[in-house]
Amino acid sequence: MSTINWLFEINFAVFSIFLALFLTELMGGVLLLLAYDRAKPKVLPYIVPIWEVTGTFAAFWVVTSDFAYPNMLIPVASLFGGLIVVFLILIVARNASISFAELITKRGWVDERKLYQAYGLATLLIGVVVLVALSAIVSGAGVDLSNLSFSLGGWIGNAGSALYVLGAVVIAVGLAPVFYAFEPLRRLTLPVTAVGVLIEAGALYLYASSFLSASFLIPAVLTLLPALLFQSPRTAPIVSHKLVFAVVAVAIIFSLSYLVYPTAFNGGITVDSVTTSGPMVGAFYILSIAGAVFIGLLMALYLTAVQRSMRTPASPSPSPAPAAPTSPNP
Amino acid sequence: MSIPMVDFDRFLFAFTIGSHILLVSLSIGLAIMICAVEFLSARSKDKYYGALARRLVRPFVVSFGIGTASGIVMAVELVNLFPGFMTLVSKTGVISIFYVEIFAFFLETVFLVVYVYYGRFFHGRYTRWLLTLPIVIGTLLSAVLIVMVNAWMNTPNGFDISTYLATGAVTGVDPWAPFLTPSTGYEVFHVLATVPLTGIMMIGGFFAYRYHKSSHPDERTLFLKGLRITVALSLVLVVLSVLSGILQIENLYQYQPLKYAAMELNVNPGTNLPENLFGWLNGTTVVGAIQIPGLQGILSNHANVPGLSQYPSSDWPPLIIHDTFDTMVVLGVLLGLFLFGYAGLWVLKRRPFDRRFLAWGFVVFTVVTTLVMELGWMTDELGRQPWIVYNVMTVSQAASNNSDLFYPGLVIIAAYIFLVPFTFWFMARVFRSKAIEVDLAGPSEGTDVNY
Repeated sequence: MSTINWLFEINFAVFSIFLALFLTELMGGVLLLLAYDRAKPKVLPYIVPIWEVTGTFAAFWVVTSDFAYPNMLIPVASLFGGLIVVFLILIVARNASISFAELITKRGWVDERKLYQAYGLATLLIGVVVLVALSAIVSGAGVDLSNLSFSLGGWIGNAGSALYVLGAVVIAVGLAPVFYAFEPLRRLTLPVTAVGVLIEAGALYLYASSFLSASFLIPAVLTLLPALLFQSPRTAPIVSHKLVFAVVAVAIIFSLSYLVYPTAFNGGITVDSVTTSGPMVGAFYILSIAGAVFIGLLMALYLTAVQRSMRTPASPSPSPAPAAPTSPNP
Repeated sequence: MSIPMVDFDRFLFAFTIGSHILLVSLSIGLAIMICAVEFLSARSKDKYYGALARRLVRPFVVSFGIGTASGIVMAVELVNLFPGFMTLVSKTGVISIFYVEIFAFFLETVFLVVYVYYGRFFHGRYTRWLLTLPIVIGTLLSAVLIVMVNAWMNTPNGFDISTYLATGAVTGVDPWAPFLTPSTGYEVFHVLATVPLTGIMMIGGFFAYRYHKSSHPDERTLFLKGLRITVALSLVLVVLSVLSGILQIENLYQYQPLKYAAMELNVNPGTNLPENLFGWLNGTTVVGAIQIPGLQGILSNHANVPGLSQYPSSDWPPLIIHDTFDTMVVLGVLLGLFLFGYAGLWVLKRRPFDRRFLAWGFVVFTVVTTLVMELGWMTDELGRQPWIVYNVMTVSQAASNNSDLFYPGLVIIAAYIFLVPFTFWFMARVFRSKAIEVDLAGPSEGTDVNY
């Protein structure tokens, strides 16, 4: 009887939350690139507060990965060193552009619009880098585990790779109007999402026919469901609710865990053999449980604040207080 | 001439962290200042404190955004550049510290988001101030936890070191021991004093400059009030910095004796040794130093302190740490004298804020404080060389030596060279992006953010 590897499950759950948040940002970033003026009122009120939380979840995932897979750090640094540095440069570009966009007042050649679009572009490129790494981890395409090297040419040479990235992008484009309740594109969401799922299925089949097992049905159905429910005016508000969509997105990503467990790199590495052991396992559980409770409370506070903003008028300007003495010095 | 990859890795990480701590110091300073002015605003209902809080929040959002990116860069660089080190970290309780660090980061992030973007929906005089408290706790806790990691690198514990050195196997792991190494308390105390001091001084220097530059009476009042807070906080912090620094010295000669000997340029061990100010080693003789008889004895409580001759010269760290340490101490003393002189004039009602040369002095000492912090960090890190984990793992053993990282690493360096000064410039701009009348009028319908 196989037992559950909770180290893997917890790490993958954190990864799922990070990736779900990141994908909602990515969808918004794409809309900002394609139709800035029309997308702005829908996209920015979501992205502007959440991007900092996404970054925090990214760091959370990195640390849980370090914790759970100490024996994988040297191989990962060797395999994806170059790709990781590109990712870092893009992270700096993403954070810098949105931080400056939030507060820029100058209306010159660099303005709010250009900076938000630069953020969208950086986020899109991060998405591509993440997808390249993920597909390599799933399929082993371009990866030489014996020499611990990764070849981008080898990755591209695998027929499934391009389809994998394309399918993910098409799904993101298909679901973006659902998440942002972008009515003008309502009719396109279902066919585009369905095409994305089909492309993804093709990619997985090309990687290894075993990937296209019954397990694939769960993420496939969960991906199509929001697009389907968005078609009806009665169910569209439910599925466009940010929290509901985020939970579904986390479930979709989590249900893909079968692609990397029990083996990653298409059978190249057995996950159970590289997870941490000994007293560190207990420490991981204790900290994860305590952390989950703590982060849950913080997220509850965050959601309370969001709810409050929807039903409470902003604080009125304080009555002009008597000015304190203005003498420059006591 | 080719540079060994390990040296490039070392330089890249040092450059990244050296830049990162500038942003972090200012972030911590801003968080403390925002908390202080929100409290004063709630207590006094003085509109200038409210306006000051609204102005300080804008640069804080920028520093947080860039600081977060920089933090992620460092976290990932550690894995990428020094995978051997991170493997050891991940097999011992040090990774638990990083894990807790993430929760501190969440605390800071979520309360920052609530305070900045939704704070106007929370009514009550003290509610907004209460929202800022966890931000301060989160930022300080992040700093404390990172320093705990550094303390472990200086005085490692929590696993069987002798077995590791003999076999490379990590055994006898105590997942919680690295939270408290022999140097943790001392390092944490010192960093909790010096890093906020740097951030507060940066803000104070800006206020002092703007106070003299501005001709608008309301703006001058605002800067004056801000300047008084920064002077008061800096005074407390500079005293704590000196106290914690002296305690650090005591801890160093006990637990990192070679680093201590190099910092003090002690050739031979002994008691009541003179303090060597600057100078260098010529063979086995110290030359060119200004010697202060007995001072080292007083600072070390007349203990028997170590000397370089007790160790093979191949183990010595770069002796430049003697100069970085002395420069740090001399500049730190000058900073303390300046702050006490400034405060003395304030107490004597001699109007230090109005004196132009003192305003410029404040700006100069802002740079000095930053330099002192960087020199302190350099002394600590260079003093541990060639070890990344003292007496356990060298930097060479830890490094990836992956030559693929050279050109992307150069891009990261170039990005920081542009980004850090630009970020500081941008923060200064957004601080005053709205007219003083607008900021004094109180919160608007929306936030100050473009969306």
